[in-house]
Amino acid sequence: MSNRKLPRLLQTPAVLLLLIWMLVPLGLTLYFSFIRYVLNSLRKPEWTTPSISNWRGFGNYEYVLNSKDFILAIQNSLFIVCSILFLTVILGILIAVLINKAFAGRGIVRVLLISPFFVMPAVNAVLWINMILDPVLGLQGLGVQGLNGLIASLQSAPGVGWFFSLWPQFEPISFRASQTSAYAVIIMVTWQWTPFAVLIFMTSLQSEDEQCKEAAILDGAGAWSQFRFLTLPHLGRPIAIVVMIQAIFHLSLYAEIEIVSRGNGNKNLPYLIGEFANNNIGAASATGIFAVILANIVAIFLLRMVGKTLME
Amino acid sequence: MGSIQLKQVQKKFGETEVIPPLDLTIEDGEFVVFVGPSGCGKSTLLRLIAGLEETTSGTIEIDGGDATAVPPSKRGLAMVFQSYALYPHMSVRKNIAFPLRMAKMSQTEQNERIEAAASALNLTDYLDRRPGQLSGGQRQRVAIGRAIVREPSAFLFDEPLSNLDAALRVGMRMEISELHKKLATTMVYVTHDQVEAMTMADKIVVLQAGVIEQVGSPLELYHTPRNLFVAGFIGSPKMNLIAGSEAEKLGAHTIGVRPEHIDVSKTEGQWKGTVGVAEHLGSDTFIHIHGIEGCDPLTVRAAGDVDVKYGDTVYLTPNAALIHKFGPDGLRMS
Ligand SMILES: Nc1ncnc2c1ncn2[C@@H]1O[C@H](COP(=O)(O)OP(=O)(O)OP(=O)(O)O)[C@@H](O)[C@H]1O
Ligand SMILES: [Mg+2]
Repeated sequence: MSNRKLPRLLQTPAVLLLLIWMLVPLGLTLYFSFIRYVLNSLRKPEWTTPSISNWRGFGNYEYVLNSKDFILAIQNSLFIVCSILFLTVILGILIAVLINKAFAGRGIVRVLLISPFFVMPAVNAVLWINMILDPVLGLQGLGVQGLNGLIASLQSAPGVGWFFSLWPQFEPISFRASQTSAYAVIIMVTWQWTPFAVLIFMTSLQSEDEQCKEAAILDGAGAWSQFRFLTLPHLGRPIAIVVMIQAIFHLSLYAEIEIVSRGNGNKNLPYLIGEFANNNIGAASATGIFAVILANIVAIFLLRMVGKTLME
Repeated sequence: MGSIQLKQVQKKFGETEVIPPLDLTIEDGEFVVFVGPSGCGKSTLLRLIAGLEETTSGTIEIDGGDATAVPPSKRGLAMVFQSYALYPHMSVRKNIAFPLRMAKMSQTEQNERIEAAASALNLTDYLDRRPGQLSGGQRQRVAIGRAIVREPSAFLFDEPLSNLDAALRVGMRMEISELHKKLATTMVYVTHDQVEAMTMADKIVVLQAGVIEQVGSPLELYHTPRNLFVAGFIGSPKMNLIAGSEAEKLGAHTIGVRPEHIDVSKTEGQWKGTVGVAEHLGSDTFIHIHGIEGCDPLTVRAAGDVDVKYGDTVYLTPNAALIHKFGPDGLRMS
């Protein structure tokens, strides 16, 4: 046996296992997406067992495409993912640059900054929607109430009262409504995932060449130019990593959407799959295939964009 | 324009005093080399001049004006770093253009200067490459190019050649010397290689533990070292320093004889010794000799190929006129 064959042979079980791990679910999903397969049907009991004789061709895909929530779910998935990516990358870079400077208590600040990442997504969602964003009992409600109270008391103050009489009564925003629930999801996930971005950017900043910075200082570069021409290109790869990993994670958001609004006006693809999977496995599988395609498009598109703008 | 004057400049990192108060004048157009052993504060001194470190006390004057509090970018100095410090994400062209871009120079003038620098440094073919795709020597040339396009009033070099191999180092040494002749701009050059110092400098500043031991032209340092440290540091191979009875005969505490100022004979001479290692370089022979009181081994540099081998007995005669005498305080006795 040549000395190349043995390592290959020893790798085979692992590779095979991985292949099975990946290909079997994907294959089954593809298969289900082309047949009629429901969990419960009194009229057509033969559809409740997956079988090639229930072949439906692209019927499931057509059905999904024509369902009223599909376009909304795609738009919403993209909106949520892109907003979260945008916010976490910007906040991540700002915070990482800020805490990269030496200051007293930096160690503690770093640990505190990372901590949101250790909160479970469902817990995170419950905390945010009930304790912070709730229009009556949450911080938001209390804050708006306090503000209104303050304005009301200032309206009767001498001298400036006329000015505050012009102010309107502020209304708290209900983040469970169909128009706003996506924002709630974006806020809470951004809060949770910014630490991830900070962590990655922070380690990368530490590997930045100090002498390059000194050379730039001597070349007349101010703080902004140093950031723009040295730090940002240096962060190009980590940004690509953060974008890639987060895109994959956030395309499959579920718990937050379920907890905030039960998908009311705020479905994304996984949520749609979940709804279909209550009974119609065929349609759920077709949606799953759409989700795979979407994820690939997003990943390729985002990576191209990040690569082009930063690496010059 | 490019004269630099340090007046009582001192640098402390916390409690440790790296550079005790020091005076130094660098004339316009001079090639000044700082030499000294590792950790003696050469880089620190250069960074103080560049403004990358703040002085603890004392003043730095550039072209007669007080520059102690002037930010580095406004001092009109360009620095070349040991690790090149090129911007890794930019092409060679953009690297060289960077200081011009920061100075908001017009595109046409930028291009003119870049072309001029690139052809002077043989970089024209590499302008569109990234630094990562260049050899060490090419990178160093890019770093120099980035420095010269700014037309600074002085260049600061911090061991620019120490990452290069020996052959390339000799070549780059010549190029930098030629550049200095052509531009006639002040250059301050840090190295711990005394051959570089001797070959390139108009003026050498020998440092030890932040203290200036001697300032002078290469030949002044060679012929009249002010103290034992300079005597041992300048010259290759090192000067033989002999203490004890031989020195006392001449009324000194220590005497120094350069290896090239000793004659070797197999029959007669002032001192008798045994040959240890003999290094035959062809043009010269370095012979290490044991058995001479006060200095073991003693090194002799004989011109041409001398036929000696391990264990031979030889007789040595120093050239009496070229013996350096040092007192018990380590200083030269006139
Ligand atoms: N930022 C700093 N903080 C504390 N000490 C420092 C700092 N920078 C340098 N030193 C100390 O100052 C001394 C001089 O350092 P410097 O880098 O100037 O030496 P050098 O002569 O350039 O040596 P080399 O030839 O090895 O480059 C060293 O003992 C070093 O430990
Ligand atoms: Mg140094």
